[in-house]
Amino acid sequence: MARGLSRFAARIVIALAAMSVIVPLLWTLLSGFKNRVDIVTPTPMIFFTPTLDNFAYVLGRESVRTGLLNSIIVSGASVLIGAVFGLPCAYAVARYPMRFAHDIQFFVLSLRFLPPVAIAIPLIVIWLDVGLYDTRTALIITYSLLTLATTIWLAIPAFKRVPPEIEEAAFVDGYGPYAIFFLIALPVAWKSLIGAIVFSFVLVWNEFLIALMLTTSDAKTLPVVASEMTQLGRDVPWGILNASVILLSLPPLLFLGVLSSFLSSVLKPRNQG
Amino acid sequence: MKIRTHLPIVFTVPTMAVLAVLAFVPTVDAVNIALQNRELSNPDSVYVGFANFRALFSDARFLNSVWVSVEWELITVIATMAVAIPLAILMFEAISPKLRNALCVLFMVPVLLPRVSAAFVWRFAFHPLFGLAVYPLRLITGHPIDLLADPHTAMATVAIVDVWQWGLLFAVVIVKLLETLPRQPLEAALLDHARTWEVYAYVAMPMLRGALISLVFVKMIESLRAFDLIYVMTRGGPGITTETLDMYAFSQGFIESGRISYASSMAVLMMIATTVAFTILWRRVRRWQEA
Repeated sequence: MARGLSRFAARIVIALAAMSVIVPLLWTLLSGFKNRVDIVTPTPMIFFTPTLDNFAYVLGRESVRTGLLNSIIVSGASVLIGAVFGLPCAYAVARYPMRFAHDIQFFVLSLRFLPPVAIAIPLIVIWLDVGLYDTRTALIITYSLLTLATTIWLAIPAFKRVPPEIEEAAFVDGYGPYAIFFLIALPVAWKSLIGAIVFSFVLVWNEFLIALMLTTSDAKTLPVVASEMTQLGRDVPWGILNASVILLSLPPLLFLGVLSSFLSSVLKPRNQG
Repeated sequence: MKIRTHLPIVFTVPTMAVLAVLAFVPTVDAVNIALQNRELSNPDSVYVGFANFRALFSDARFLNSVWVSVEWELITVIATMAVAIPLAILMFEAISPKLRNALCVLFMVPVLLPRVSAAFVWRFAFHPLFGLAVYPLRLITGHPIDLLADPHTAMATVAIVDVWQWGLLFAVVIVKLLETLPRQPLEAALLDHARTWEVYAYVAMPMLRGALISLVFVKMIESLRAFDLIYVMTRGGPGITTETLDMYAFSQGFIESGRISYASSMAVLMMIATTVAFTILWRRVRRWQEA
């Protein structure tokens, strides 16, 4: 009896936690389809006539479209740089006995210790001096620091999980070290590597502080544009705000499945090594 | 597999060189700028030695922001773990594996949201006049309550959003770790008539000690990145009650006065403090995990 009761209480707590995720997000989603009069009500309104005006307005804004384009180019390019340079580096650290393997890993991790504001402030001056301030190039280069560090850090364990016997068999078959990397290690570890790459994408897509400080108009990314909308004055167009927040949040959520199975695979006890 | 090859050099040296340039140039330049008196509006500047650093320590607003940052760090790290561990245990004990897996996916949603979005979703929910989260309060008291504008509740309200993002993610991580634990020690403890909470407190959690310490470490690093939340939700207000170091450095260097050198001296202090603190901690963490 007491056991059943405590199980019941536990389930209520879990249900409340689940509601804390579902309710606010659902509310934001609903409000994106509401007219202003249906949002500004003292009693929350569940039933209303939906409208697409908010989304039409948001997608029609020049600033949002530029922001979207900037976000796609900047995160795409920096993720690509992170993968192209980061994956081989992670493989070498994972597979070859190196004197500096530990130092490399610690250096990569320690980049995460740096407060973003501490990097952004000198970079304002640097990019101003070189004449690249408020350009996508500057953002891509800056973000590459983030994507490289993240990709290397997450890909090292992924490569370590590739059974060494496969690579040894390939070596016996006459594969050279580079062929082993490209034809054996990469395809075998691919599933986890995708997780690492997607993770670095979400990180730069969501990045706000550096983008805010390194752009003023031309190169603004979507989070900066969205945050500007949330800072509007007294007569806030809440429906439009909700719509822009939904637009901003969709890309990372598309990868929910990939990232949740990546998390599970990272936390599984390893079979070997 | 002993092959003589230059692969390790070809694969690591260029990448590490790029990383080193990307990391060291801003770091060195931060120090360089901090020793000048440069302003955004005026590119001419002279070296002023440690004047910026001396000014910082008599700047009450700077000292306030140090304290706010420490407070934020403590509140969010402790609250995240205090939410994650019990929630994970409840999920592991009280619901079926199938439902548990579904909830694990759901609980990853908040942390994947851009922080700007998460901050907005909750600012909207806490809106005094028509926010959903404060609706019950409004019904009971009959007054609109603005939690984000009250100096006593602003920090806690922003912290809720941070814990919402990280506490739920950590609960998922701990659940998955619990699932990997061997069953025998737990069952042995139950056979010895240990109560459920005793099994967790004295058997399961100690078995996960290394992982839990890593989680605390991760959260300490991530809590330093509170800027987005605070910027969207309170902008450091009301007054300066939620003005963290990064928020203050931002407003000094960017909005209010463009005193980029002054802001840079704060950045340098932050870099030194966090790098030293986390390097020491990281060594400790390694030792605890191995012990």
